[in-house]
Amino acid sequence: MMNKLKLGGRGFVGTILRRSTLIDILKFLLLIAILTFLLYRGTKTLGYNWQWYRVPKYIFTIEEGRFILGPLIEGLLVTFRIAAWGLILALIFGLFTALFRLSHSFVARVVARGYVELIRNTPLLVQIFFLYFVLAPIFGLGRLVAAVLALSLFEGAYASEIFRAGIVSIHKGQWEAAHSLGLSTFHTYRTIVLPQAIRRVLPPLTSQAISLIKDSALVSTIAIYDLTMQGRTVISENFMTFEIWFTVAAIYLVVTVALSVFVSFLEARLRVSY
Amino acid sequence: MQGQPHKGPIIEVSGISKTFPGGVRALIDFSTKVRRGEVLVVIGPSGSGKSTFLRCLNGLEEVDGGSIVIDGIPLDDYKQHRLEIRKEVGMVFQLFNLFPHMTVVDNINLAQVLVRKKTKEEATEMTLSLLKKVGIPEKAKSFPSQLSGGQQQRVAIARALAMMPKVMLFDEATSALDPEMIGEVLEVMKTLAREGMTMVVVTHEMGFAREVSDRVIFMDGGRIVEEGTAEHFFDNPQEKRTKLFLSQIL
Repeated sequence: MMNKLKLGGRGFVGTILRRSTLIDILKFLLLIAILTFLLYRGTKTLGYNWQWYRVPKYIFTIEEGRFILGPLIEGLLVTFRIAAWGLILALIFGLFTALFRLSHSFVARVVARGYVELIRNTPLLVQIFFLYFVLAPIFGLGRLVAAVLALSLFEGAYASEIFRAGIVSIHKGQWEAAHSLGLSTFHTYRTIVLPQAIRRVLPPLTSQAISLIKDSALVSTIAIYDLTMQGRTVISENFMTFEIWFTVAAIYLVVTVALSVFVSFLEARLRVSY
Repeated sequence: MQGQPHKGPIIEVSGISKTFPGGVRALIDFSTKVRRGEVLVVIGPSGSGKSTFLRCLNGLEEVDGGSIVIDGIPLDDYKQHRLEIRKEVGMVFQLFNLFPHMTVVDNINLAQVLVRKKTKEEATEMTLSLLKKVGIPEKAKSFPSQLSGGQQQRVAIARALAMMPKVMLFDEATSALDPEMIGEVLEVMKTLAREGMTMVVVTHEMGFAREVSDRVIFMDGGRIVEEGTAEHFFDNPQEKRTKLFLSQIL
């Protein structure tokens, strides 16, 4: 009886979904058509000469059966490296800042609050310059290290607010139950609070990770040859401004969408348990 | 752990007061003692301070003044004392407070492993025997959300018992349950009482109080209004406020 009802329900929802998906796809295609038309009109009045056929060699080339990466993909690999390290550090900074802000220690709270406000209220570009031109020479940091640090400090400040929101959303009964069993604050965080809180904040954390990947484009300003910088270099050689920037944007899009899909999958996996 | 078993009352509360931020005085110069094996039932209107009293006993609330000694260990600012007391005192909450992301077994194993430093195998053995005791051995692998309220509360009792506490505190353990599930939880509590567990029970279940309690405290406005055996309390109450309260709920 229950099963039948459930199946019936799913079928009903399924029909609605399929119909609305079809309409959505039509709307999307219409939108693309309009945009393409506008772009075509615009470039025609500009007298722009499209040369898409020249783009692939900047992505990859095959010489004598050997696969050679183009400058754009080499730049993407640098972007990956910066983004991956940046993300790991940002999550660590974020988590510890959130814990500091929620701690009983006055000093820890002040330090965490100061860090978040300082970072959130100044431009990332200025932070990158400050780290690279002021702090890096003092501490002997390399270009990449400065870039990764600047990015992770920036995104970590936002991530800390996300973690904090997740932690305070956990019902205080969970703390009380853990304490009444004799668990320490450390054990309570590790086994009870954080596992639940992180599941809840996975969607906003994903947004933050996507921001980090996009913001990493700013490291091109300190002459790191990431995807954006490579794009700029290619354009300065061949003046295919539109084609290359579109390609660069598309590569960022593919990477961030892939990340979103991966996290949705992760969320679905984590949800099954309860 | 204390070397010698402590003689005398297992719980000694003298002159504790608690005022919440905002000025609500939940406990005013409150004192009582609980013997080993005694079942103390605390009743009273809502806001009378009975839950606050219970929560002070394991340090979930800080008292403003007075002293609490559990099994010879003073509940003071020493973290170690607080931890020792929490090991000895189990608590069951109105809203169960099970850990929703863990299975029933993991809920009950957790503190045994982390606090009592047992191996996972030792803990699981204890857990399974406790689940049998509370009557739901078949739910070991379930998550809390898959259980009824009564089953969840029985898991919560098993979780507290797994620490081998010397005292069990029950904070309106049946108040959030559907009526048909109250019985199964009370049955577990009665079994515990019969086995000689020291219990402090805040409840609205007068039948339970009458049948199981050694002593009843009636609280109002943060103070003890009347105190006595169940017979005294239900058949021959002295205070006007007690009579009024009983007439309202019985």
